[in-house]
Amino acid sequence: MFDKITKFMDEKLSTPMAKLAEQRHLRAIRDGIIATLPLIIVSSMFMVIAFLPNSMPSDWGITQFIAANQTKILMPYRVSMYIMTLYAVFGIGYSLAQSYDLDGLSGGILSELAFLLTIIPSSIPAVTEGIKTLAASNEELANFLSQVPSGFVLPMGNLGSAGMFIGIIVSFFAVEVFRFTQKSGFKISMPAQVPASVARSFEALTPTAIVLLVVATITMFIGIDVHSIVATIISPLIKASDSLPSVFLIIFLAQFFWSFGIHGWSIVGSLARPLWLVLLEANTTAFVSGTEITNIAAEPFYQWFVMIGGSGATLGLAILFAFKARSAYGKALGKTALIPSIFNINEPMIFGAPIVLNPRLIIPFIIAPLLNSLIAWIATSMGLVNRVVASSPWTLPGPIGAFLACGNDWRAAVLNVLLIILSIIVYYPFFRMYDNGLYKEECQDVSVSEA
Amino acid sequence: MKVLLVCSQGMSSAICAKALQEAAKKDGIDMSVSECSTQAFAEEIKNGYAIGLVAPQIRHRYDVLKAQATDAGVPCVLIQPQGYTPLGGSKLLAQIKSELGDLK
Repeated sequence: MFDKITKFMDEKLSTPMAKLAEQRHLRAIRDGIIATLPLIIVSSMFMVIAFLPNSMPSDWGITQFIAANQTKILMPYRVSMYIMTLYAVFGIGYSLAQSYDLDGLSGGILSELAFLLTIIPSSIPAVTEGIKTLAASNEELANFLSQVPSGFVLPMGNLGSAGMFIGIIVSFFAVEVFRFTQKSGFKISMPAQVPASVARSFEALTPTAIVLLVVATITMFIGIDVHSIVATIISPLIKASDSLPSVFLIIFLAQFFWSFGIHGWSIVGSLARPLWLVLLEANTTAFVSGTEITNIAAEPFYQWFVMIGGSGATLGLAILFAFKARSAYGKALGKTALIPSIFNINEPMIFGAPIVLNPRLIIPFIIAPLLNSLIAWIATSMGLVNRVVASSPWTLPGPIGAFLACGNDWRAAVLNVLLIILSIIVYYPFFRMYDNGLYKEECQDVSVSEA
Repeated sequence: MKVLLVCSQGMSSAICAKALQEAAKKDGIDMSVSECSTQAFAEEIKNGYAIGLVAPQIRHRYDVLKAQATDAGVPCVLIQPQGYTPLGGSKLLAQIKSELGDLK
C-alpha cells in the first residue's frame, strides 16, 4: 500500500514538479546565480576580516591595524559581492543563450549591455575656479572635493542585489531578442562570398541594435525609473520570504522532494535564491555601515541553523548511526557517513540509510529541520544571536560556519551545537526503531545461513 | 576505462567515486572515476569517458544530461539509489556492467 502511494506521488507529483525547475529560464537564473557564489563566499570573508576588531581585544596591534584600514579591506567586497548582479546577469544570459543553442558569449554580453542600460551614469563636472576659491578658505570643503571624482560615474547601488530582478528581466529580454533575430532570419545577412567570421559580426548587430534602442529608450530617453518600479512590485514578495510561514514552507518543500530522493534544496533554491540574496545583501550592507540588521531568513540561516549536516539536519542521525547503532549495517554506514555529514554532505546518509521512501525516517527528516528553524527564528528575532550577514562556505563544519555567517558571533556557534543536539533527540526514537529492525533482520539472516 | 559521475555540485559524487573505484579494483578492473557538477557536465563528458553516471537526487535533470552525453556519443545511466552510497560501490559497478557488458 505504502509502495503504491509513494510510486503514485513520485510519478505524478514530485518528479513533474522537479522537472518544472528545469524550465530553461529558471535554469538560467539558477546557473547564473550559482556562478557568482564563489565571488560571494570569498568576498564575504573579506567582510569577516574587516569586522574582526569587533570580536578581538581592542588593544591588540592587529585589531588597531584592521580597524584603521577597514575601508581599504572592504574594497574587494565592493567590486564583487556588493555588485553581484553585474556578474549574475552575464551568467544568466550565457546559460539561457546556450539552452537555445545560441552563442553563450554573445548572450552574456547582450544581457550585460541591457542591464547596464538601466543604470544611468551621471556626469560630475570638474571643480570650477569659483568653488576652488571657496574651498581655499574651508578645509572641510577642500577635503571633500579632493575625494570627489570628476567625469562619468556609475552609481553602484543597483548593480548589487537591489538590481537582481531587473537584471533577470533584461537578460531574458536580451536573449529572447537574440533568439528571435537568429531563428527568424531577421538580421543583416551577407552574400556567400563574405568570409563567415565577417558575416557573423554583422549578424550580431541586429540584436544589439534592438536591445540598445529599446532599453535605452525606456530608461534613458523617456527616463522611466525601472528599478524603483520593480522594487515596489517585488518588495512584498521579499518581505513575505522573510517570515516564519515561508521558512516552514521552504523547508517542507525541500524535505518533501528529498523524501523521494530528489535534490530538494537545489529545486527550492532555483526559485528562492534571488530573494535570499536580496535579504542577505541588505543585511551585509547594514552590517558594513553599522546600521540595524533587519532580515532573518537569508540562505545562511538555513545552512547553519536548519539544515545542519545537510538537508534534514541529518548530522544528528549520522551521529546516532556512528555511535549508537546495533546493526552491522548501521555501524558501517555511520562510520562512512559521519565525516561527510560534518562537512554538510549527506547523500551517503539519505541514500545509504536510506531515508528516501523510508516512512520510519522521513518523519523526523521533516520534523527536525522544521523544529530547528522555529528555535533559530526565535533566538534570532530575540537578538540572542546575530542575524546572518555573510555567506560562509557551505562545506565548513556547522559551528565554524555559523560563527562566520553571523559576523563572528560565538553565540551562533553555540546555537548550532544546541540544534545538533536537538536533532539527535528528534531522530533518536525513529532511529532506534529502524536500527532495531535492521538488527533483527541481520540476526535472522545469520540463523538462516547457519541452519 | 574512464567514467564520469555527475551530481548537483560534484561534492557527494566524490564519495561514491571512491566507493566505485574500490569495487572496480577488487574486481580487477582498471577504472578511473571522475566527478563533476551538472553545469560542467556538457563539456567534461566530451573528454573520452566510457560512460556518464547521473546521481539519483538530480534525476529531474537526467533527460537534459543524457541528451548532452548522447551528443558526445557517450552512454549515460541514472544511478540506482542503492548504488549511490559509500557502501554501494559494487551495486554501482554491477549497473555499469549491465549497461556496457563485460568490462575486462
